[in-house]
Amino acid sequence: MNRHNAALIAQLTEDLQPVRAMKGRDGLLLAALAGAVTVLAVWLAADLWDGVVTGEASPFFFVTNGLLLVLGLAAVAATVALASPSVGNRQDAPKWSMAMVGILPLTALATVLASGTGLAALMDPYSLHCLTAATGASALTFVALTYWLRRGAPVSVQTAGLFAGVASGAIGSFAYGLSCPLDGVAHLGLWHVLPVAITGLVGRAVLPRLIRW
Amino acid sequence: MIADESTLAQLMRQSQDGDKRAYTVLLDECANWLQRYYSRRVPPHQQDDLVQEVLMAIHNKRDTWDASRAFLPWLAAIARYRWVDHLRKVYRTEADQLEDWDAAEESSEEAVLARLSLERLFVKLPEKQAEVIEMVKIEGLSIQEASARSGQSESLVKVNIHRGLKKLSTLIEKAE
Repeated sequence: MNRHNAALIAQLTEDLQPVRAMKGRDGLLLAALAGAVTVLAVWLAADLWDGVVTGEASPFFFVTNGLLLVLGLAAVAATVALASPSVGNRQDAPKWSMAMVGILPLTALATVLASGTGLAALMDPYSLHCLTAATGASALTFVALTYWLRRGAPVSVQTAGLFAGVASGAIGSFAYGLSCPLDGVAHLGLWHVLPVAITGLVGRAVLPRLIRW
Repeated sequence: MIADESTLAQLMRQSQDGDKRAYTVLLDECANWLQRYYSRRVPPHQQDDLVQEVLMAIHNKRDTWDASRAFLPWLAAIARYRWVDHLRKVYRTEADQLEDWDAAEESSEEAVLARLSLERLFVKLPEKQAEVIEMVKIEGLSIQEASARSGQSESLVKVNIHRGLKKLSTLIEKAE
């Protein structure tokens, strides 16, 4: 043991205080709480669509929101796991989930093109409203996951940033989607999925700087 | 003698509970492990700084180790993270030359595994990227010297170092 290491070790030992180990379970609970508060906020602000229980909602409504929820859960779990470093900590589930959700805008595009109505059919009066509202609804989950990553010790900071962004976008879009009565392929497939891409890019671009340690 | 996984995990559990004696032993063992871990990939005069950076990271982030998981993969991930960070910062100095430095021979199984662990990151890189990172960031050659030795243009050397370091940072946890 060299002299410098010995001096440092003595100093660090002197500073030692008991700590409570970070548990992945706590991170998942934090994200679940953020998601629940987001749904509650959407309910209070925009009301949830009763077409979900009356049978009015189309199958595509359930498929889209179900896939967004699964993507959100997969990305939340991966983000929480990435806060605790470990060689062998592979987190591939969000990538496959993103690929599955990516089918939705392709379906919207293919449907519109096949119907011969042109790309203008992808727009509707509520397109931008849903895009901005769903993106805004991702904020709380984004803050919760950022807090968790900053508290932890992520060593794959780009991946963690991307997954945190995707997770918050998917949870936000799912929550807002519960209030949206527009259940067509073009609307849901594009305007409810685009927020995930936006928050994913924001997470990838911004979070590494905030969570690097 | 380097302590084994179960001993280190037990020491870390005690350290998280505030046991100072266990913590001293743990940090001693980690320092020894890290010296061996870095011996082939970091010039000797930089090893102490890097080891001390990791020891401080262990101290500051000791609550991020979950006792239900193995200790050495946690330590190795932090060691790799700091190493990649270190590679980004390294600038050429005469003392960085490889010929001034003979890495110690290790004999224990842990040391071999530890060394392989860093090698595992390098083997995932395209050959041209690994080659110039090794020359410039580890051996301490200049861009011009690396260009002459590798046959790559100076611009390509710079691009390959940049891309290689970026890729290394994505491999920290993946490369086993």
